[in-house]
Amino acid sequence: MPEYQYIGKPARRVDALEKVLGTAKYIADRKLPGMLHARCLRSEVPHARIVKLDVTPALAVPGVRGVITSEDFFEHGLYGFPVKDKYMLAYQKVRYVGEAIAAVAADTPEAALAGVQAIICELEPLPGVFDMEHALDADAPQVGPDRPDGEHPNFLDKLIVRKGDPLAVWEQSPIKLEERYTVGPQEHAYIEPEGVLAVPTPEGGVVVYAPNQSPFINHGNLALVLNLPHNLVRVIQPPVGGSFGGKDDIIYESSAQVARLALITGKPVRMVFSREESLIVSYKRDAMRMHIWLAADPDGTLRACKFDGLLDSGAYASESSFTAWRASIHAMGAYRYDACHVDITAVYTNNGYCGAFRGFGNTEVCMAIEQAIDEMAYKVGMDPIDFRLKNCLRLGDETVHGQRLTESVGLAECLMAVRRLSDWDRKRAEYTRRDVACNVSTTNDIRRGIGVAALYHGTSLGAEGQDYANATIAIEQDNSIDITSGLTDYGTGSRTVFTLIAAEELGVRPERIHMQRPDTDTAIESGPTVASRSTMLGGNAMRIAAMNLRQTLDYAAADLLGCELHQLIRHGEAYVGPAEEPVPWERVVAHAREMGLALSAHGKWTAPRINWDHHAGRGTPYMAYHFAAQVAEVEVDMGTGNVQVIGFWAAHDLGKMIFPQGAYGQLYGGIAQGLGYALMEQITFVNGYIQETNFESYLIPTAVDVPEIVGTFIEAPFSHGPYGAKNIAEPAMVPTAPAILNAIYHATGRRVRDLPANLERVLLGHDLAKGGSPRACKLGLHIA
Amino acid sequence: MIAHKNQTLVRARINGEEVAFFCEPRQTLLEVLRDTLGLTGVKEGCGNGNCGACNVIMDGVLVNSCLVLAVEAEGRSITTVEGLAGPDGLHPLQQSFLEHAALQCGVCTPGFLVAAKALLDHNPHPTEHEVRYWLAGNLCRCTGYDKIVRAVLDAAEKMTA
Ligand code: FES
Ligand code: FES
Repeated sequence: MPEYQYIGKPARRVDALEKVLGTAKYIADRKLPGMLHARCLRSEVPHARIVKLDVTPALAVPGVRGVITSEDFFEHGLYGFPVKDKYMLAYQKVRYVGEAIAAVAADTPEAALAGVQAIICELEPLPGVFDMEHALDADAPQVGPDRPDGEHPNFLDKLIVRKGDPLAVWEQSPIKLEERYTVGPQEHAYIEPEGVLAVPTPEGGVVVYAPNQSPFINHGNLALVLNLPHNLVRVIQPPVGGSFGGKDDIIYESSAQVARLALITGKPVRMVFSREESLIVSYKRDAMRMHIWLAADPDGTLRACKFDGLLDSGAYASESSFTAWRASIHAMGAYRYDACHVDITAVYTNNGYCGAFRGFGNTEVCMAIEQAIDEMAYKVGMDPIDFRLKNCLRLGDETVHGQRLTESVGLAECLMAVRRLSDWDRKRAEYTRRDVACNVSTTNDIRRGIGVAALYHGTSLGAEGQDYANATIAIEQDNSIDITSGLTDYGTGSRTVFTLIAAEELGVRPERIHMQRPDTDTAIESGPTVASRSTMLGGNAMRIAAMNLRQTLDYAAADLLGCELHQLIRHGEAYVGPAEEPVPWERVVAHAREMGLALSAHGKWTAPRINWDHHAGRGTPYMAYHFAAQVAEVEVDMGTGNVQVIGFWAAHDLGKMIFPQGAYGQLYGGIAQGLGYALMEQITFVNGYIQETNFESYLIPTAVDVPEIVGTFIEAPFSHGPYGAKNIAEPAMVPTAPAILNAIYHATGRRVRDLPANLERVLLGHDLAKGGSPRACKLGLHIA
Repeated sequence: MIAHKNQTLVRARINGEEVAFFCEPRQTLLEVLRDTLGLTGVKEGCGNGNCGACNVIMDGVLVNSCLVLAVEAEGRSITTVEGLAGPDGLHPLQQSFLEHAALQCGVCTPGFLVAAKALLDHNPHPTEHEVRYWLAGNLCRCTGYDKIVRAVLDAAEKMTA
């Protein structure tokens, strides 16, 4: 392995200082003179026709400066990708509780609220679809857009994978499993609620400060719905207080609203959500119902997998087609099969709406398949790690999709690493002695269990779309170095990753380098910041940009030192020629300036072409995969059903680690999110009304819930990744829930196939029937 | 403006400085710290006592400033994240958070720093268990807490060395 100066070495986050000082300015911290406060009128019913909408009374409220509806946008503000089905403000219909109908800008938050309350809005309630199983019934109310192709309007998409005939194998198989699993929606729960600030420009355009993941998508949407040329719209990303996939569509929508209000009023306009508004209004991870058939030989060889999944996209498509696609590709897990069919169907309902969330479909299906695999290990009487090792994808294998894995496959190593680190064999034997179905009435009975889950996760977008990124690098007059990327850092650490890569390639200290905030006026469009693609795509682009600049400087150095390029060596930052006298980097830069050379460069990297045949359900879905294994150790209180995770081990093949503290941060944070998904995070829609509207009812893990985590990285380099790097952010959380659920089974002998594994499910194996009528969530009570 | 009705004058000591401000009786300390006094290091994550992002120390007691009325600050001494660093540089906790990379998005960080300071003020040698339970009122969605807990334990060690 080559020795690097900065790659893989301890480094400080470039944004840490301002954050410990409390001086980092998030949206809610930004105030401008004359700034107005915006607030939305939101639907209090899950499905209705808008029969009357009169905003003129709001304009009469003291302090109100502007009010907008869908009429204020081009084509009523229709937007969305890949499916255009949502409006920046509701047009004709509302389809979920919390959907924005009108927006008011006023001098104070109180006046904005008064303005919202003054709007005359008559909604004629429509029957809704609240059960995804019935979304495609012939008589189901229409939630989705009209389908000229004759499909049911509530049908969003269907994604398939096809290899052989798994049911035929299953019928014949001596060992078979058929089980059903469900996951509910999950809230991102970024600690910074949504907020956007728009400032009108003298040219008639608008600058939008938005904590979005993908400023260029926001930019394109804004230009479209505001009907402005691209050069009059600018999107700048301030520090972002967490996103995890959650700050896309909802921020685009808020951005369009405040941008229009800013243009109308000629003043800066800011909108900041309260936590309640955030929980009610923002999109979630989709709920899924999954049905799995597995077949194996008595010797433990997996033969066939059939996986049927139904995905509730809620009222709008958002990213659900892509989520369903990623789910379909990963649904069978990282194993070899003779035959495999996957069918994932995504439908519309009136249960809020769902979009991107860390893991993006894989988190949902992994919970199911990794439990099913575990159940199969028990059926064939093998240790769960042995069973996985026997069947897992290895170098040279072909996946069920028809893709030959020719490099960077570290799954077996990951499984062996967690086995060793967790002391698996000893604990497994010790805890298994009680491995029989327990007596529920036992009190004060604490049982331990240990469970494993494996994972593979395609890098970047895969066949979802064209995969490329851009970066720029420039030396300023003071010899500091500015770099830009079209990909953004919402807490992930990618700014530090890019800084280290530029430093490595240029051979300069990272402190010289300043990574600019993402800004659509200065950076170059690079596709969305999603799918854990920053390190690989953005990293490659940055590497190319820095290499280009380095060539210029090397040329100047050779000229200055009167030698050939190949005679140059580097000593720290300094250049050394045959005379062996080190020349400081600054002198080389000055010489390059004198020579009239350009001290800036651009890098673009485009991923190798891959293809996926949606009709055949076969192809090469991703250029490479992240592999991982995680082990959880739990204590279950058999009297209360309480589960405490007491140990956690994770081994991840990320190709190559670039920024260690960042990688570990992603790993630990992802595991904590997966732990919440497994044990406590529950969003409940009752007739379309979300029941959890703040953190006292939507519980996320605290420092007491998350144990000490032992993480280790396996580096199986990928030839197309920068220095061999693949990805880490999403895969970190994907196998966590099934590892915990498998440990719970080991402890209790009882499977929890529905998430989250709350007290009653662990204790009783089912939900308690809840009495009373559902609460309609209250809107408009809380002013930020 | 009507807003001038019902205004109360409050005097308090904030981050070591005598401060006087007008506020309405319904306003929270969080609102006044952020909007009136510009101390935006104090964050709002939930507005009702669940997340700890708004933590400040009031007369030695750790409080959620979203649950304290601004008028209650009368005569009190308040420390926010902005008051942690001194003329000699960063507070050891801030330094430790930097070194351990105990933050990602950073929006929870001010609350954790202030909460950790309140802990170490009372208990300079906390165990890991004590740190985790003390910080259980602070939510972080990014880090998984591990690095935060290490950073606090490390700072405690350095501060008492
Ligand atoms: S904002 Fe005060 S506890 Fe969350
Ligand atoms: S660092 Fe993002 S919430 Fe803690």
